[in-house]
Amino acid sequence: MAKNKKIVVDINPEIRDVLVEMGAVDIYKCYQCGKCASACPWFQVGTYDFPVFRYPLETALGLVASSEEKEDLAKEVDKLYRCVGCEACVDQCPLGVDIPDILRAARRILLDFGCYPEPLKSVVQKIRNVGNPLGEPREKRADWAGDLDISAFQTHMEILYFPCCIPSYDARIQNVARSTARVLKKGGVPFGILGAKEQCCGEAIRRVGAESVYQEAAKANIRSFEAAGVRRVLVSSPHCLVTFKNEYPELGSSVEAIHATEYLWPLIEQGRLKPAKSVNKKVVYHDPCTLGRQCGIYDAPRKILRSIPGLALLEVEDFAREFSLCCGAGSGALWLDWPKGERIADVRIKQLVDTGAEVIAVACPYCLQMFEETVKAMNLNIPVMDVTEILYEALNEKGSAE
Amino acid sequence: MDLIVCLKRVPQTAEAEVQIGPSGKEIVRDRLTFDMNEADSYALEEAILLKEKFGGTITVISLGLPDAEDTLRIALAKGADHAIRIKAEDFGELDGFKTASLLKDALVNVKFDVLLTGCVATDDSLYQVGPVLAELLGAPHATLVGKIEIAGEKAHVNRELEGGLIEHLEMSLPAVFAVQTGINEPRYASLIAIRRAAGKEIKLLGKDDIPSEHRVNSTLEKLFVPPAGKRAEIMTGTADEVSARTASLIKEKGLI
Repeated sequence: MAKNKKIVVDINPEIRDVLVEMGAVDIYKCYQCGKCASACPWFQVGTYDFPVFRYPLETALGLVASSEEKEDLAKEVDKLYRCVGCEACVDQCPLGVDIPDILRAARRILLDFGCYPEPLKSVVQKIRNVGNPLGEPREKRADWAGDLDISAFQTHMEILYFPCCIPSYDARIQNVARSTARVLKKGGVPFGILGAKEQCCGEAIRRVGAESVYQEAAKANIRSFEAAGVRRVLVSSPHCLVTFKNEYPELGSSVEAIHATEYLWPLIEQGRLKPAKSVNKKVVYHDPCTLGRQCGIYDAPRKILRSIPGLALLEVEDFAREFSLCCGAGSGALWLDWPKGERIADVRIKQLVDTGAEVIAVACPYCLQMFEETVKAMNLNIPVMDVTEILYEALNEKGSAE
Repeated sequence: MDLIVCLKRVPQTAEAEVQIGPSGKEIVRDRLTFDMNEADSYALEEAILLKEKFGGTITVISLGLPDAEDTLRIALAKGADHAIRIKAEDFGELDGFKTASLLKDALVNVKFDVLLTGCVATDDSLYQVGPVLAELLGAPHATLVGKIEIAGEKAHVNRELEGGLIEHLEMSLPAVFAVQTGINEPRYASLIAIRRAAGKEIKLLGKDDIPSEHRVNSTLEKLFVPPAGKRAEIMTGTADEVSARTASLIKEKGLI
């Protein structure tokens, strides 16, 4: 029998130090129990090897994106961009190791050297250029409002509604912004919008690693908030929520951010909104990672759905609330296309459909877009709707056209 | 095998809204991202592949403003050995000829077997620097190169012509090749290589180093956005209305 070769571990302390400097501060907390691996959505997908449990140690050894061989390095970088930032691992970790944050440190360095997936380059470019990832003109940012007669935000108004990019521009998802605005009007809430002065919150590109473009976008929004005298911001996207709440204050912001579901449930409770029209459907609610695990909002969307007459709310057994499986669109993954059979959304849609639901309810534009596309690709005939869209239907006595 | 690659840092304008600045001769740079010119990144990769096969060194050179050093550093991280920036701020207005002649003077003492450029820069779309530089250096050149093979003192290259034709050439070295995009798959740089590149020197050449007179053959008069054509129809309405109108137009015009 051949003698075992001595295993030489090529440790790169210099790389470790620079990754720690870039934010990978959690690496030494990890004691490699592997609990993160079972929480990671890639474990549910099962066809792609994403060893999430290894990243803290690999980072400590300076072995991330370290291959000198072209093909191996390409695979390593692809792997770094497979993390969808759902934070299921963080939630399950006994020590709270933030693995997505560890990965982001490497992404930041690679991004500065143009060493990241091509589709994300155009997203970063478009956000810098026109303030949204779709490449749509700034002046069309308020077009979603159409004939709804929504005014520009004024200081005396209770809240600023900040739909962000996908609800502003995506032809399907504009209906989320429209429904939210209509529901607010029905509740008698004085609100306004920033229109062309709003731009992408930057949450996703920060997680892609584009720190300077994120900061530029965030600072522009903070300036707009200050100039308009905004104190409370209502958002449709949990991604806006998490960055406004936890990250904008680092740049001097003091606005309070609130998610649409969190804001609307009390209005129903107080009787200012009365969902009287029956929606006789079995509806399954998908907890968006960013709203649930990352912002702790599980109940408001459920309470809204339960308040609707006729609506039967279903849950995904074992994979609801903090155990929700990601839609697969976070941290830039919305713009990446992985091979068939390696898509997180396919697994999640199957879980949701298997509940016997007739409608999939979400509370996040990313989940909505991801699921809309996935349902089409899987040839399924099940509507995917935002909670506010369903609520608006239940408020509207005369059917969909008001 | 000693290789030279000419690189240019350009604004990424393919999907951007480009605005013209108050001088009427330049675009507004504020909201644009900048990166290595696309064809140049393929030229760089081709050089790295040749170096991996035959050994030698790669010198990268860029005529640009200080931020062009970011682009040179990317090249150093990917596998280039030496980097030179010609300080564009020292040389005033540029055109294809002046750029090529500055590059030629900067490279006068750099020995090479193969010099690579991208076939075109996406900002000024001149297609000139490769061929003009080759003439000034007295080296043979090929443009629109889609494949390079080196055997001994000869290079065998394919040029991509219109109509799907490929032209195969045998050329003697040293030679200049202006390469097409798609000739290879540009690589990423590893974190280790990025760290190493951070410490490497970038040689700067200014007007004291390249003193001879350089002239432009053409002067930029103005940049403008062409007036909208009359044949264009902008469709408005819901997605369904627009797609129905598009479908009927396609049928009407006999396009299918």
